[in-house]
Amino acid sequence: MQPELVDALFIDDAHRFTITEIVHITGLAAADVTVLVECGAIAPQDPGAAAWTFPAGSVDVARRARALRDEFALDDVHAVAIIVRFEQRMRTLEREIAALRARLG
Amino acid sequence: MKYKDYYATLGVARDADEAAIKSAYRKLARKYHPDVSTEKNAEERFKEVSEAYETLRDAEKRAAYDELGTHAQGQDFRPPPDWGSAFGAGAPGGAGGEGFDDIDLADLFAGFGRARGARAANAPIPGRDYEAAVRIPFEAAYHGTELELDLGGASIDDEGRVRRVSRPVKLRIPRGVVDGQRLRVPGKGGEGLRGGPAGDLYLDIRVDDHPLYRVDGTDIHVDLPLAPWEAALGATVKLPTPAGSVELKVPAGARAGQKLRLKGRGIARASGNGDLYAVVTIVMPTVIDERARELYAELAKASTFDPRPQFGGS
Repeated sequence: MQPELVDALFIDDAHRFTITEIVHITGLAAADVTVLVECGAIAPQDPGAAAWTFPAGSVDVARRARALRDEFALDDVHAVAIIVRFEQRMRTLEREIAALRARLG
Repeated sequence: MKYKDYYATLGVARDADEAAIKSAYRKLARKYHPDVSTEKNAEERFKEVSEAYETLRDAEKRAAYDELGTHAQGQDFRPPPDWGSAFGAGAPGGAGGEGFDDIDLADLFAGFGRARGARAANAPIPGRDYEAAVRIPFEAAYHGTELELDLGGASIDDEGRVRRVSRPVKLRIPRGVVDGQRLRVPGKGGEGLRGGPAGDLYLDIRVDDHPLYRVDGTDIHVDLPLAPWEAALGATVKLPTPAGSVELKVPAGARAGQKLRLKGRGIARASGNGDLYAVVTIVMPTVIDERARELYAELAKASTFDPRPQFGGS
């Protein structure tokens, strides 16, 4: 029997995630998510709000932090957050290089 | 089932303590993690050491693993009778222990952990999210495509028994995905337990390079080679685009590096398509016959054009 055809969806950039949702999705503790904010790896939509919400991209960053923590058996979430910041910078530079190559041919 | 010597994989003694196991794993993770390793077969080796660590770091899983006994690496073996029930996990395949041949040792402990959790909590457990890397050609990314994946792996039935299953899934990839983009497929992750919802499947999309088209965000760039006379006089040329060829009017006096914009013919987006840019390059013939040489000489004599004003006159 042929499997059912399902749609792969663009991740909705308009959706906002609470810390509770990020904890549920990623397996990080709420305190770890706070560390990611403190280290600048993710940023709430409104830092002054009583309850923070985050754009979809923050979930990917938090997932990556959890994966790095587990895959390298790292204890220090601060160190993980710094690594994630470096990775973000690296991805930005890779995209800039690809864009420049596209323009230069 | 084939035996895997997790202690040997991590290079530790069978009585190694938690700290020694963690230290050994960290060292091997730094050596073989695909993101940082230059070792041959790094991904495969990292999977092996991760699997070993995942079992040995958990006290109960480690105890259950030790109860399997000691065997040679790769040796066919079966767990002792009632092995699974002693630790609150069902035997793989069935009560009589049948169905071991297609079970991987890792599946045994994947089921072990979840069955223990479900028994303890007696509550619905949501399924895990899966991630898969998918590589598609440029045309498939531009137009959208359908593809089939097998998400097979260990599955837990309601009695906590582990079974290996094939899970084919057919996916519709929307048009306009770009390299490095992530897509979500709701409900196609791991199965939930005790009525818990299934997890989601996340796809990391990699798009192959195209010999003609270069992607910059949602814009596409394509080189437009012109003969010198076409650039000078203007021309109508056939230009390939991902949506099919078009006739492009090149204005007279086109310069190398100049970009001719075709609005809306880039990558599709709900918020507005990107553009396609034809980037002019001037190409000289490799062989210039006598007549062409005469014409160029005439042009050189007649023209006052200075291509190198910055050199201060030459």
